[in-house]
Amino acid sequence: MTALLSIRDLSVAYRGNGREALKNINLDVAAGERIAVIGESGSGKSTLALVIAGLLPPSARIEGHIDWQTTEFRSSHSFAPPSVLPEMSGRTEGAKDRQPKFVPLGGRDIGLVFQDPSASLDPVMTVGKQIAEVAHTHLGLDWPQAFARAKTLLERVRLPDPDAAMHAYPHQLSGGQKQRVAIAAAIAASPKLLIADEATSALDTIVQAEIVSLIRQLVAEDGMTLLFISHDIALAAELADRIAVFRHGELVELGTTAQIASAPHHVYTRALLDAHIGLDTEPMLRRAGASV
Amino acid sequence: MSSPLLAVSGLAKGYHRGGKAIAAVDNVSFAIGPGETLALAGPSGSGKSTIARLVLRLVEPDAGRIAFEGDDFLALNGAALRARRARLQMVFQDPLAAFNPRATVARVLNDPLRIHGIASRAERPRRIVALLERVGLSPNLASRAIHEISGGQRQRVAIARAIATKPSLIVLDEAVSALDVSVRGDILKLLLDLQTKERIAYLFISHDLGVVRAIAHRVVILDAGRITESGDARAVINAPQSAIGRELVAATPKLHRTTAP
Amino acid sequence: MSVLRRFLRTPEAIAGAIILAALFAMALSASLFFPGDPQAIAGPALLPPFQDWGLPLGTDRLGRDVLAELFHGSRTSLAVGLAAAAAALVIGAIVGTLAGFAGGLVDEVLMRITDAFQTVPSFLLALAFVSVVGPSLGVVVVAIALGAWTGPARVARAEVLSIRERDYVAGARVIGMHPLEIAFREVLPNALPPVLALSSVIVAAAILTEAALSFLGLGDPNRVTWGGMIAEGRTVLRTAPFLSVIPGVALVLTVLGVYLAGEGVVETTAVRRSLS
Repeated sequence: MTALLSIRDLSVAYRGNGREALKNINLDVAAGERIAVIGESGSGKSTLALVIAGLLPPSARIEGHIDWQTTEFRSSHSFAPPSVLPEMSGRTEGAKDRQPKFVPLGGRDIGLVFQDPSASLDPVMTVGKQIAEVAHTHLGLDWPQAFARAKTLLERVRLPDPDAAMHAYPHQLSGGQKQRVAIAAAIAASPKLLIADEATSALDTIVQAEIVSLIRQLVAEDGMTLLFISHDIALAAELADRIAVFRHGELVELGTTAQIASAPHHVYTRALLDAHIGLDTEPMLRRAGASV
Repeated sequence: MSSPLLAVSGLAKGYHRGGKAIAAVDNVSFAIGPGETLALAGPSGSGKSTIARLVLRLVEPDAGRIAFEGDDFLALNGAALRARRARLQMVFQDPLAAFNPRATVARVLNDPLRIHGIASRAERPRRIVALLERVGLSPNLASRAIHEISGGQRQRVAIARAIATKPSLIVLDEAVSALDVSVRGDILKLLLDLQTKERIAYLFISHDLGVVRAIAHRVVILDAGRITESGDARAVINAPQSAIGRELVAATPKLHRTTAP
Repeated sequence: MSVLRRFLRTPEAIAGAIILAALFAMALSASLFFPGDPQAIAGPALLPPFQDWGLPLGTDRLGRDVLAELFHGSRTSLAVGLAAAAAALVIGAIVGTLAGFAGGLVDEVLMRITDAFQTVPSFLLALAFVSVVGPSLGVVVVAIALGAWTGPARVARAEVLSIRERDYVAGARVIGMHPLEIAFREVLPNALPPVLALSSVIVAAAILTEAALSFLGLGDPNRVTWGGMIAEGRTVLRTAPFLSVIPGVALVLTVLGVYLAGEGVVETTAVRRSLS
């Protein structure tokens, strides 16, 4: 399988605290695979999402590089202007490649879904318009076409009443419905890569399961590559082919889901697995003194 | 079971939204014995957090009775209610939002000791150190600001504040949901240890059935403000009878550690 | 980066700070440079400025030293401006916090009173109050504060309304804290930043109101005020315009200085909040 993107010696530090959010990361993401990035707070997993999407603040110091498999993108879109993320290519170590580097464009080549859909949706724009705007901007559709596409997308993300939802404002929808809209907007321009950053963490278990199955289905139908970022190793294992375990900005272990779940090499991965409390975990409560 | 510590019966609370009356909690009854953990589980909007707030008298119910330690808890008001609050405490989901953003750890723990006259001004610093040690924190943390310490440490401070007044019941509203998994286990162990040694009862509100099964004696499953099912936590979760119970169990992520290739 | 350094990075803030510093220096050094009564006759009447270096800004109709009056007048302007603004902010914050935190009838009553004060033009209110009670420094301060507390009250109430829904307020109730302690110790301090952001505007307005009252002869008669000086110079405006222009310019610079420095502070704290 060809790599959609190759991360080489990538380090990221935010200005302010000298601490590195990511340290010397090397990771290949294959086209069409579902890879999960798991870690606890401060592990750098969200920074990884932002740096791949080119959304880090300009003040962040980035070393190393991310190489994109251009042919993967050429099939569906024209080239992105190399002006996107100039600081990335500018700071690339050992500027060996002089030719203008392909840098994918967030929203068009990369779809992003974040934890809080209320924060990623515009509160004063109808849901239909928000999705249509993505299609209009990135696919060059005229507005009637863009709105038609938005309607199709709302059907695909299985909103109960797509016609009504087109004219609804985000506050009129539930948390799970908003996240469906955010997903529809993220995939509106048929991106090659879908990044879901804790996309289900704010939802209850039932809605979480629905959203995970929706993401799985959409990724399969559209042949997207999925980068699923989560703190929940069990959830990641249900969805991903491979799991990358991050801790304190470092990639501590990378393997197939089966290998990570059953035969982890790293102590930290094992600790994460042991800390998981599932429905088959030995209960912590000792019943000896209980009165019931 | 001896006389229950907390007995809730016929509890109801509705809200008006856009001219429509919505029942957030509808005819809910349950009881918790001393030293017992009762979990409230259900999807979002099932009314579990509203029940927590009703039990704590943060919100007043439309109907129903709450008996706490044998007294009519809803009949208490003003100073009498504030005094009785010492026995009924709460730990919130987001430990950062649960404290005044300007507070220090010492001030957070000093408040309940001062308000309920538990310790004299001179004795309080020693009590604060003891509370911090009880929840497994270094006494050096006392002078730190709440926003300077980690999430897990904050939740320990929240537990220390809750046990400062020697309560018989603590409401834990998604108290471990926002924590990192490695921290969560330790906090759960601390809660169980406190329960064993101080005989504190918990009303444990969670959407995570794994955690509920791990630490609760009994569970009540809610949907749309009503109780759909209740009973022994392990029995209910192993074989849920209600549709929503089955849905919750099915939706819980499962980690298959033994399916090695 | 220190707050001070960030504050001093904006040119407006620096200008404001310099003007305010000069003003405070004037007020503090007034009795040092001009130890006598500024209202005593110091030389010939209507001496124009820059003629006699003993009286650099000249003298007024009665032969009083304009520079001495200017220095002593800065004290009145600053004292009244700061005291009235402080009083307005304190009253406003307390009323707003009570209304927002208590809700219900208390809120309704307090906000209707606020409305009533807001509908009366604040200058007329001050004018009426001083004419009834009689002019003295304290009365002028109260009169100005009466018309200025409604803005802070509204801002404080709006802020308190959002803060009281937060978990930590519920937490304070759960540990049995008295509602008044919750309102003033837990909620009010966190509601203050936007209220304090109003202070520069209020101080500037208070200084202007004080000057206007003095101009109309309703200032403290025992003190030199810039407004009084302008009024004094009005009768000889054609022959000796400097008598009105000099205190007028001082007034404009003061208000500008207060405003610019206040903006600088707001900007600085806003940056700090967005950083954290």
